[in-house]
Order: sequence, then C-alpha cells, then structure tokens
Amino acid sequence: MSGAADREAVFPTRQSLGLMKAKLKGAETGHNLLKRKSEALTKRFREITKRIDEAKRKMGRVMQIAAFSLAEVTYAVGGDIGYQVQESAKSARFRIRTKQDNVSGVLLPAFESYLTEGNNDFGLTGLGKGGQQVQRCRETYARAVEALVELASLQTAFVILDEVIKVVNRRVNAIEHVIIPRTENTIKYINSELDELDPAADAEMKAKREAQAAQGAKSQSEDTGPSDILAAADEEDVIF
Amino acid sequence: MEGLLFNVNNGYVEGIVRGYRNSLLTGSAYNNLTQCETIDDLKLQLGPAYGDFLASLPPNPSTSSLAAKTTEKLISEFRYVRANAVGSLAAFMDYVTYGYMIDNVALLITGTLHERDTRELLERCHPLGWFETMPVLCVATNIEELYNSVLIETPLAPYFKGSLSHQDLDELNIEIVRNTLYKNYLEDFYNFVNTHPDMAGTPTSEEMSEILEFEADRRAINITLNSFGTDLTKADRSKLYPSFGKLYPEGTLMLSRADDPEGVRLAVDGVHDFKTFFDAISVGGGPSGPGNMGGGSSDGKTLEDMFYQKEMEISKGAFTRQFTYAIVYGWVKLREQEIRNITWIAECIAQNQKDRIGNYISVF
Repeated sequence: MSGAADREAVFPTRQSLGLMKAKLKGAETGHNLLKRKSEALTKRFREITKRIDEAKRKMGRVMQIAAFSLAEVTYAVGGDIGYQVQESAKSARFRIRTKQDNVSGVLLPAFESYLTEGNNDFGLTGLGKGGQQVQRCRETYARAVEALVELASLQTAFVILDEVIKVVNRRVNAIEHVIIPRTENTIKYINSELDELDPAADAEMKAKREAQAAQGAKSQSEDTGPSDILAAADEEDVIF
Repeated sequence: MEGLLFNVNNGYVEGIVRGYRNSLLTGSAYNNLTQCETIDDLKLQLGPAYGDFLASLPPNPSTSSLAAKTTEKLISEFRYVRANAVGSLAAFMDYVTYGYMIDNVALLITGTLHERDTRELLERCHPLGWFETMPVLCVATNIEELYNSVLIETPLAPYFKGSLSHQDLDELNIEIVRNTLYKNYLEDFYNFVNTHPDMAGTPTSEEMSEILEFEADRRAINITLNSFGTDLTKADRSKLYPSFGKLYPEGTLMLSRADDPEGVRLAVDGVHDFKTFFDAISVGGGPSGPGNMGGGSSDGKTLEDMFYQKEMEISKGAFTRQFTYAIVYGWVKLREQEIRNITWIAECIAQNQKDRIGNYISVF
C-alpha cells in the first residue's frame, strides 16, 4: 500500500477532496462500530465455547447413565422391548420450540425443550415385570435428550457466531488496513496535486472567483430594496 | 408309586436335564466373570460352558450378540430334550413354551395393528415360543381376520376364548391383552399339572404348584405396582390377577383396591415371603419408597431382584425331588437367569460400571 499506486482513481479537485475526507470519517466511524460488534460477538462466542465444553462433559455422563438404565431394563424384563415401545408411541412427549436471541444484530436460534403433559403412550409397557425400570429408563433418556438439545442449541449458535465473527473481522481488517490507508493516500495525493498546480492559475482562479463573488454581492445589493418605477426615469425607451 | 414307572418313559430326559443343571455357572465362576476387564476375557471365561456357541462371535462382541448366542444354546438344548420327551412330559414341555408364545403373539398383534410387514417380525420372536402355525399369523392383514381364522388355530386359542374378543384386540392396550393371556395361561397350566392323571398327586404337581403360585403372586404384585400412575382402572386391573396363588383370594382383593405401594405392602402382609421382601426394601428403599425399584439404592436389592432370587431358589429346590417334570421348568428358568446374569455382567464391563456388577443372582 505504498505510494501513489494505492489510491483511488479520482481527479485531484477540491470537490473530490471533500468527498474523500467525508469517506475517511465514515470509514473511521464504521471501523469503531464494527470493532465493538466483533468484541461483543467474541465475548459471547467464548462464553458459548465454555458452555459447550460443560455440556459435552455432562452429555457424556448422562448418556452413560441412560445406556446403563437400558441395561437394567433388559435385565429386569428379560427381553427386547424395543419394538413394543416403538409401536405404542403415538405422539411426541418431548418437544422443542425455538426462539431467537439477538446478539449485536445476529439472530441466534435457541432451542427450548418441554414435556407435553398427560402423554404416556407406553405407560403399561412391562406391566408384568420390569415396568418401573422401563419408566425410569424413559426418564433418564428424557434427561439425556434434554442435554442433547441444550448442546444442539449451543452448537448451532457456535457455528453461526463463528461465521458472523469471521465476516465482521474481515470487514474490520479491510477497513483498517485497506480502506483507511487508501483514503488517506488519496487525500494526500489530492493535496499534493492541488499544491503543485500553477500558483498563477490558482491566483487567477481565486481572483475570478472573488470577482464573481463581488459582482454577485453587488447585484444582490442592487436588487435589495423596493425599486421605484417612477424614479427610474433614465430608463431606456421602449420601442415597439 | 410314581417312581415305579417314571423311568420307563422319562428317565433319559431327567438324566439329561440333571446333566444340564450341573453345567450351570457356579458362584465361583461368576466371581471369575466379574474380574474380567474386557468382553473378550468374559468370552474366554465362558469357554467351558458356552465354547461352541461363542466360538463364532467376532472379537469384542456386543452384549446383545453375546445374549443371543447364549440363548441359542438354551434353545438347542431345549429342543433336544423336547425331541426326546414323550407322553405327558411332551405336553408339559409344550406348556412351558406357551409363555413365550404369548409374547410372540402379542408382538405379531402389535405388528398387525400398525399394519407393519409382520414377516420381518418373525425374526424378533422368541425361538422357544415358535409354533408351526406362527408364520401363518403374518397372512392376516386386519385384526378381525387374525382373530377369526388365524389365532383360533394356535395353541393359545383357549386363552383368547371367552376373555378377549377381536374388538378387544383393537381397543385394549396390547399390554393388557398380553397379561390377560398370561393370566389364562397360568391358570390353565396350574390346572394341567394338578389334574392330569400322570401328574396329579406326584412331586410334579407339588413342585409346579409352588412355582406357579409364586409366579401368579409375583405377577399380581408387579401389575399392581406398575399400574400406579397409569390409566389402568382398578376394575381392569383386578381382571389381570390369576385366580390362584398364596395371595388369592384375600390378597388379590386387597391388591385390587391398593392405591399406593403402602397398600400393596398391606395386601401381601399375610404371606411371609412377600412380607420380608417388602420389609427389606422399605428399610433400604430410601425416600423414593418401595415403588421405585431398581432405583437409586445401588447397594440394597430391589423388589424385582428379590423376586428373581426367590424364583431361582424355588427352581433350584425342584432338583431336590426325583421323578418330577418340574426340573425341566426349573432348568429353563435357571438358564434364563444365567443368560440375564451374563448379559448384565457384560453390560457392566462394556459400560465401565463395575460398582454394580455384583447385582447378578447366583444360587449354586
């Protein structure tokens, strides 16, 4: 990004100088805001990473207990109840609703699990023997699924945040290392070009402008005040 | 008197079954099993008893395939005994298989109700409960057809007759159907061992009555405990209690009125065995109460465990008598428990939960 090569293709005029200055200011404001957003997201991201770690450990434990409770069922019932449970389940007892969290303008889906009441499709499974174990196993697995849902919600947030943070950081870097230097270079270039312009022409232009300004002021002052039509006798005659 | 002619027809079978009983795992064998670090070690330890059947398993088999293979051994031995049995012993052994048939039929009814392809269900059926007309059950596509033309041909037909109509199959929960069948089956079996001329008044009827009475009481108690918190009404519940056993009739009447585990405890108070069971769990059961068996009390035994323990003791006791068919029943039950024990130990090893590995039941 050195030298004259890295600048925008503008004509070195005062008008574009003004534009560039406005652009630089805008870029700096944007940079500040994006940087703050990136920091907020990163904070949230770290928090989520920590919670994922916890949730994964918890999941490991819970799944182990759940698998073991299934072994208990197998022991107590003395056979395979899988098919029976599958066939007698009619509607979902464990459900999920999603809601959205807003973190610095990023929408993160959060899954929330809940149990529907009074839905006990296979409550009679193992009535002859092992019924308690079946119910207990179901509760254990419900807890395991709860842990999984929590983990899923965190993982989704993790992926989305990761993506957004990448984009935001790219923007911050782009503004910081490309747009701002380039705009600054352009401003420098315009300034130097303006300085190099013929001082005479510059003075001429200045004089011209001053003259114009003076004339404008004069005509304006003439215009001001009520004009007396009658008093203007030295008017040229109108010839038809 | 029964000893005079018993061996003419049944001596060989009795000898075989007693031989099988001696190959059951003993307490020290179980001790060795619990010391295993991997499933492969376990497989090696099971070598003497199950060598041929476990040989085809891949290294580090899953616990379910281990259970399947050990069951396979029981099946092949049972079939051998069945093939050598004649006369009333053959009928007795058929009765033993009816319990498994009920499970299979319940499975197929569930499949038909949900319009699944019942053919693939045949693989899931328990091989002991296999009967010749079972594949025909798959032909039926709706429940009425199943009831009128197929179930009637099965050995279970008498259990359906009179207590279940085809509408019942459609409307009632399959568990209620299953338990109704099981109740009828137990009553029929009880009747069979006590009235058949070859068995009435022999050690067979004495031993089998004890086993079946216990089974009936156990089912009654379990059904009561498991029905708390479900939509099974008390009237429906009382229909599922077998009409014999130590609890019948006063105990079952009180069970049918019980609202909570405490009510069950009161109902079984009259029978010493069950009273001690309930006393034991109410001491060790903790705040969750006796209803929560298999619960948090990892040190104390659960009600279910105690029932199994008692069943094993009765089954073991059957071998102390001679000239009885009850040893066949006892042997099947002991082998089933052994399979459950092996599966349990394998699960504990596979899931690294060694602290509860001692939960198996060994009576030898």
